[in-house]
Amino acid sequence: MPETLVAATRGLSFSLGGRRVLHDVGLAVPEAAIYGFLGPNGAGKTTTLRLLLGLLPPPAGTVHLFGHELRHHRAALLGRVGALIENPSIYAHLTGLENVEATRLLHGLPRARTAAVLATVGLTTDANRLAGHYSLGMRQRLGLALALLPDPALLILDEPTNGLDTGGITEMRALLQHLRRDYGKTIIISSHLISEIERVATHVGIIERGRLCFQGSIEALQRMQETSARLVLHTADAAACRRLLPEFTETALPIPDAETLVLPRLSRQQVASVVERLVAAGQPIYQLHYQQPSLEDIFLQLTTPFAA
Amino acid sequence: MSLPLASPSFARQLSRCLAADYLKLRRTPALWLAVAGGALPVLLEFCIFFFRGNVILRHHAPPWFRYLSASWEVAAVLLLPLFIVLLAGLLVSVEHRATAWKHLYALPVGRATIYTSKFLVLVQLLVLAHVAYVGLLIVSGYLLGLLHPEFGFQHQAVPLGAIAHLTARTFVASLGMLGCQYVLSMQSRSFVLPIGVGLACLTTTLPLLRWEHVGWLPFAGPLLTLQSMREAGAELIVPAQLAAHEIGSLLWCAAAFLAGLLLRHRNVG
Repeated sequence: MPETLVAATRGLSFSLGGRRVLHDVGLAVPEAAIYGFLGPNGAGKTTTLRLLLGLLPPPAGTVHLFGHELRHHRAALLGRVGALIENPSIYAHLTGLENVEATRLLHGLPRARTAAVLATVGLTTDANRLAGHYSLGMRQRLGLALALLPDPALLILDEPTNGLDTGGITEMRALLQHLRRDYGKTIIISSHLISEIERVATHVGIIERGRLCFQGSIEALQRMQETSARLVLHTADAAACRRLLPEFTETALPIPDAETLVLPRLSRQQVASVVERLVAAGQPIYQLHYQQPSLEDIFLQLTTPFAA
Repeated sequence: MSLPLASPSFARQLSRCLAADYLKLRRTPALWLAVAGGALPVLLEFCIFFFRGNVILRHHAPPWFRYLSASWEVAAVLLLPLFIVLLAGLLVSVEHRATAWKHLYALPVGRATIYTSKFLVLVQLLVLAHVAYVGLLIVSGYLLGLLHPEFGFQHQAVPLGAIAHLTARTFVASLGMLGCQYVLSMQSRSFVLPIGVGLACLTTTLPLLRWEHVGWLPFAGPLLTLQSMREAGAELIVPAQLAAHEIGSLLWCAAAFLAGLLLRHRNVG
């Protein structure tokens, strides 16, 4: 049975000021996933998230939330979505509590929700201070409180760790995991740093220049990491060794230094045969190991077309 | 996935928006401006009459008529338009400054509702300013009668009917201005642009007051309404019917409101 998709786009294309910023993006966010939406700055992350919320003029393609098309059931669907897009929208002349109240009234929710979300983000003691006097991290948490108000089934967070210190980032991560694990929430979180989300994300979408260049579970990304592992061989004369292995002339990578040979991932038998032939030809082998690229490297490989 | 797809009704959405908009008025200058905007012209005219009333009311001129028309002139020509320009700018800038549109438009209330609610709050503040102005004007007239019995305020009944007509018609005559300034303030993230345009409109309207078609300009409305006030013996007469320029003001307001609504739908949140 196919996974239930909480958010899905089909053929999403969008132009801004005559420039095409999204090309045929097909996002698929399964239920109870933390979907890490990755890409360099300006790749189209915020535009995609804005389209998921109906904040931009209708694009080419469709946006479905909870299985229903957004443009036909906007108010009903958005009632189950909490969002924090770019910098949080905060009225500096109101207190933290009044800021939450203003949004609560718009949702038509019971008064108790205000205290509940302020407690969730740890702002209870500062609730009666003017939001204009909040620190950047507190503003970010207040923004998250606004997003959590309707107890949303889907939470869309655009770079929520912007401006947070290490402690704040760890807290945010713990909060997201708690929301998913204990409440079954689906969370889409965008970031330009893979390191920020690889520990929380269950699924990953990577966007580059408006095109989705990878989408799948974090395991699939990790498998990709494994398959792009390389065999590193330390010997006395890398160039001589390479000549002894003519079948790898095409696939062997450039020799990083005179004593190191880098080969693609091989089967166990292939490794045994390579070692046997080199030793038989009198080449010493000092060290032999697999080098696995970090997810960061994979991300860079996918998002910078000329890096590899 | 099954979920109830019924959206809240427009009336329910509007009452939610209004409740939130009232809350957002806290600690803003907009609310104070509405009261102060009503009080300022009264205070000015009170001081003028208090110190110079014996000159102005020479030859037993009817005091209420003189007092009302002098005060209304200052209020309608200059202060009311300035007040509307500032009020619309201030009220809307609260959202611009908080970069709140993207947040508001992602909530389960329609854009049209958010737009309408804000406009209604603006209209209510205008009503508040009118009520504050008229209330204070009558009270200050009584006060002048007490402080300077020789002015004769106490010998003449307060022309409440005429004041009510004048107030209601001035309100209608200023709605055109209000609609235009609201849309302009909504469209511009900068606070300066709508205020600049408003002041430019006001200063170009004043020299055009002798032009026969000036009634079609929204900034001329309150002054033209004032001109329909007449003195008949000791009576003050203001017809209850709306004049052509007041109908024009309503049309301006409706047109601006609809144009703004269309623009809002196209705007990026």
